[in-house]
Amino acid sequence: MKKNKASVFFMWFVFISGMIYFFLPLYATFDFSLRMLKDRLSLEAYKEVFKDPNFYTNFGYSMVWSVVTILICMLLFTWTAYWMHLKMPHWRPYIEFVSLLPFVVPAVVLIFGLIRMYSRVSVGSFNLLGTPILLIATYVVMAMPYMFRSVDAGLRAIDVRTLTEAGQCLGASRSQILFQIIFPNLRVSLLNGLFLTFAIVIGEYTVASLLGWPSFGVYIRYAVAMKAYEPAALSLISFLMTWVIMMIVQYVGRGSPGQTQIATH
Amino acid sequence: MAFIQIRNVSKAFSPNTFAVRDFSMEIGRGELVSFLGPSGCGKTTTLRMVAGFEIPTSGTIFIKDTDITHKPPNQRNVGMVFQAYALFPNMTVAGNIGYGLRIAKRPPAEIEQRVKEMLALVHMANFGDRYPHQLSGGQQQRVALARALAVKPEVLLLDEPLSALDAKIRVSLRGEIRTIQKELGITTIYVTHDQEEALSISDRIVVMNGGRIEQIGSPFDIYNFPQTEFIAQFVGTLNAVKVEVKDAAAGILRLENQTIKTTQTSDLGKNGDQVMIAIRPERLSISADGAAGNVLEATVENITFLGAIVRIQVKIDQATFHIDTFNDPFIALPQIKQKVHVAFPEEAVMALKNK
Repeated sequence: MKKNKASVFFMWFVFISGMIYFFLPLYATFDFSLRMLKDRLSLEAYKEVFKDPNFYTNFGYSMVWSVVTILICMLLFTWTAYWMHLKMPHWRPYIEFVSLLPFVVPAVVLIFGLIRMYSRVSVGSFNLLGTPILLIATYVVMAMPYMFRSVDAGLRAIDVRTLTEAGQCLGASRSQILFQIIFPNLRVSLLNGLFLTFAIVIGEYTVASLLGWPSFGVYIRYAVAMKAYEPAALSLISFLMTWVIMMIVQYVGRGSPGQTQIATH
Repeated sequence: MAFIQIRNVSKAFSPNTFAVRDFSMEIGRGELVSFLGPSGCGKTTTLRMVAGFEIPTSGTIFIKDTDITHKPPNQRNVGMVFQAYALFPNMTVAGNIGYGLRIAKRPPAEIEQRVKEMLALVHMANFGDRYPHQLSGGQQQRVALARALAVKPEVLLLDEPLSALDAKIRVSLRGEIRTIQKELGITTIYVTHDQEEALSISDRIVVMNGGRIEQIGSPFDIYNFPQTEFIAQFVGTLNAVKVEVKDAAAGILRLENQTIKTTQTSDLGKNGDQVMIAIRPERLSISADGAAGNVLEATVENITFLGAIVRIQVKIDQATFHIDTFNDPFIALPQIKQKVHVAFPEEAVMALKNK
């Protein structure tokens, strides 16, 4: 009995400590963001943020970068992981190693290497540096560990080979199998990867700044340098957006179809 | 002309490892042929080559005079039922069954009608809206069968479809599969390691071992006239014992202190040879004195009750034999250590070839 009480107390202690550790800074930030006007609490900082046209411009750009990055990641890494599971399982250690490389290379090093390599690549007057292609390609590389591993975990949970063969026997091509059978059964994994990719891109500063492209991260950095209360408001808006997207992911991913089952009856 | 022709097909996964060696056979239209053998004998590999999931290292495969050896699986018009069911989890039962027809771009009305027909065929008319995870194993396998048949394939392939099911369901479902196969007249290859399954539903059985064909024949021939020791041991229960050939022409054999006669003299070799003979347990009986055929003295060692069958273990000289007799509660069984006479007809004695 004594041992039970002690362990329950300890559980609550850890839980409450964790909640305080997480929510106290958020509360402090929120409190600070309400004190733009002297002597009273107000949402003035938030109004200033939403009045600023640069907020919408930069946020819009980041949304576009996110969407394009997510689409490329979903197509590229899902197909790669699918092919690895189907035809090249012995390549797994090497592909997993490559997928982890973005963790090792700092963003600054990555972007300077890419600038150095692609600044000399021109086709007529077309140069990669003048387009957002390099920016998005960098984001794809940075999102690779998250998206690839998320998809890989999803593929491990289904019998990829048998489902593919079943589809082939019914006359389906590989792309039909991928989009009509594999993708729908990876819904939760893809959404998790999507969410992580979005979170990386929406708040990213270094790459966009060095390549000279507008982004939400660059805007926040500018606000921090020039203003006092608005950055606090922006931080909380970012958190709120992240939580909303997470809830959407949870909602869309609920009731995901069961996996291929070998029943006992 | 045979419907399916498999000619000298071999499959090697590495230079010295052959999963299938020189496999040749013809299958007639509407026939159900089982590939039977232990794990690793090459039966599934052969099936997968017919399906197109493996390419033969050598040899050719024809369906209706068309060489399909190198055709992709989705162009062979071959239906397949897998051991793991392989139903698409994101689609309902109706969606699964109609998938092949949607790929073939059939009109929606035709698809709906065909799905209804298939659901009725497998006795699952009210299950169209369910998802695979809401079905039992037996139901899932029925849906898998309906899905494979919906596209009207020329050939149906089944890869150990009942292995994951419990015994009672296996027995009832294999009967249903056979009934449907006969009703549709579809040429079928059925892979199994379960001899009872193969014996009960097949027109012919191909017994495989080590990548090669041991024997092709009807279930009756395979069971009653096995051509090799492997087949005799693998299919059914068997009493096998080494004897000395006393008179090969007359079919007289010597088991230590007792004489056995056989009518199958062609595989005995010459006088003085040691040969392995086999007798099915159901051909032996505990006899009263004066029975015809072979009658040997034996001692009862053990009696096992198996339900419909009672298995009596006896010692004849130093050899152990099993006798299978139908369970009859009104006939007294012998006692342990009782001396009895064991009788069996001369034609029940098979001389085995060791290939």
